[in-house]
Amino acid sequence: MKRYLETGNFAITQGAIMAGCRLFAGYPITPATEIAEAMSINLPLVDGYYVQTEDECAAMHLAIGGAVGGLKTMTATSGPGFILYADPYGWAIGCEIPIVVLNSQRVGPVSGITGAPGQGEFYNARYPTQGGNYETIVLAPNSAQEAMALTVEAFYLSERFRTPVTVLADQLITDGLEDISVPETDEEKAAMGFRFMERKVNMGPDFYPPTDEIDIPPVVLGRGANALCSDWTPTEEGYDIETVEAHHKHSYRMIYKIRNHKDVIERHEELYVDDDPDVIVVAYGSTSRTAKTAVKKARANGLKVGMIRPISLWPFPDELFHRKTTYLSVEFNYDGQMVREIQRAVPAGSKVHFFGQCGELPSVADLDDVFGKLLNNEPLKREGWEREVW
Amino acid sequence: MDRLTTKFLRERKIPSTACSGCGLGQSHKAAVKALDELGYGVDDVVWGTSIGCAGRQTFATWKGDNFAGTHGRVYAIARGLRIALPPEKKLVLTVGDGDAFGIGLNHLMHAARSNCDMTVVVCDNLGYQSTGGQFGWTTPDGVKTDSSPYGMWEPNWISKEMDVMKVLEAAGATFLARHLSMDGRILVDSIKKAINNNGFSLVHTVFPCTTNFAKNALGSRNAVNIFNWIKAHAAPLGEEKEDTIWRTGIYHDASNSRPEFATSLREKTAQIQRRNE
Repeated sequence: MKRYLETGNFAITQGAIMAGCRLFAGYPITPATEIAEAMSINLPLVDGYYVQTEDECAAMHLAIGGAVGGLKTMTATSGPGFILYADPYGWAIGCEIPIVVLNSQRVGPVSGITGAPGQGEFYNARYPTQGGNYETIVLAPNSAQEAMALTVEAFYLSERFRTPVTVLADQLITDGLEDISVPETDEEKAAMGFRFMERKVNMGPDFYPPTDEIDIPPVVLGRGANALCSDWTPTEEGYDIETVEAHHKHSYRMIYKIRNHKDVIERHEELYVDDDPDVIVVAYGSTSRTAKTAVKKARANGLKVGMIRPISLWPFPDELFHRKTTYLSVEFNYDGQMVREIQRAVPAGSKVHFFGQCGELPSVADLDDVFGKLLNNEPLKREGWEREVW
Repeated sequence: MDRLTTKFLRERKIPSTACSGCGLGQSHKAAVKALDELGYGVDDVVWGTSIGCAGRQTFATWKGDNFAGTHGRVYAIARGLRIALPPEKKLVLTVGDGDAFGIGLNHLMHAARSNCDMTVVVCDNLGYQSTGGQFGWTTPDGVKTDSSPYGMWEPNWISKEMDVMKVLEAAGATFLARHLSMDGRILVDSIKKAINNNGFSLVHTVFPCTTNFAKNALGSRNAVNIFNWIKAHAAPLGEEKEDTIWRTGIYHDASNSRPEFATSLREKTAQIQRRNE
């Protein structure tokens, strides 16, 4: 085990290389640039390749090209680049190509505040391309250490499910300096729960079986499989076809290979939820760090406050929200995104509130204040923001 | 089915679903013939395509590996694939004019800049024909299309002064040629040169669209008319007449003169490792 005082960007790079990433294609963008920089230093040392492209759309396409040639590949960006991934995401989802995408969320829309954290791509990560008819896998770390772990896990899941897996971080996670332990031996990796899967090659002739099964090897070109992959609806062999029946089969696979194996993906953290808490705070990523401190403090003060932290964000963990109580979604945005999923998932009669801001973390005192208002049935008005009531 | 078809193409996709009289098959066949004459087999080639008529009709025709990329991005996919593929595998792309010279031009230029080993055969039907017949970036001046109903007035990429070939040469392409799909032997020979270049090669082939282009531009879907019309407006480089639209021949041949992208990447990686030993 090696210990470092390093950024999340560094940790992500370590995780990726450990998982077998040998091609990274990227385009500089704050706050994910340092991943590209670290990849440009470290990949050549392990027979890997770093390519800087003309734009993010090309970056992800190039990474998928490498993946469909048999390499484990990755790309990383932030909001304005993530939106340019829409095109290649669709290709990778439809062709079922394993690839890992990291998005360090900043304040948007558009360029917004470049160097400050946000959580504006909760839904973009779920629907990263057009057309629908697919599920996506999204993992959200709340520390540099976990960013490394989830990058490793993203590579593992992308191989098993043959699909892009998104690690949804934010500027605080990727830029923040933290104490990081990088495992070196297989025992150390296993002790940290790291899972690995080698690239396998689908030798056909049915490259797109209409089944929800996972662990089907992906298409790899150049290996004599006479493989087919395209942007069109495929037949089971991969020929392009325009029938609703074929598209239904393909959609079934894209949706249910993920929905029916949610147990392989699902991970979360819960705190003080087993004694009928009056309020359950829900947060992911950086905001969950403050939320956790605030919840612990509230407990110390005798308030029955609990917490749920989804780590796998998509598929959304509906089953965690089975308690009829009051929920508070704490997010790095002003519009409230995850709160909508919580509203959908909770039992009838529950109350769901939202507290959000972006650019900087809410303070523990801010959350204390919100807990107090919720427990006293007062509206969640904030000074200066009186017209925003959740 | 002829010998080439039996040897290289998938029965299921031949004959294609192209319109009656379409010239795309000539460009496609020239590429297959070039590979055959160079002695390549099914497993030596990965065949890539894009969208539109050129992409749709040529995808999954090759007996070996095939992929079709998203609109205009196939050059970026191909660059990633080039890194992963064994260097001896040939990468041949049959793409449309909209894909190469419109939506994908930036990616195409970066493939040229990096001199990434691929042979791009642009199958040009003079506009966006699979969407019904709108003008594109190679639509001749004055021609009526569904989206230029008063005649094409926007500058295109094929005039002598503003030729996309010049753009690509300046961008670093190491082999560039332009032909008509009916150029036969001359076209096959150019594609062979393109394939023999270990770098970025592009062969621009103009083919007649009998359905949408011919209907709009000539008022007739008669295949003979559009074939003759294109032939009448083409001339070899240096033999241009006043009404020449397409100047055909090899525009630029700097084959094997510049380091290839993936080869360089592998060499740099080896150098870095030696430095760190």
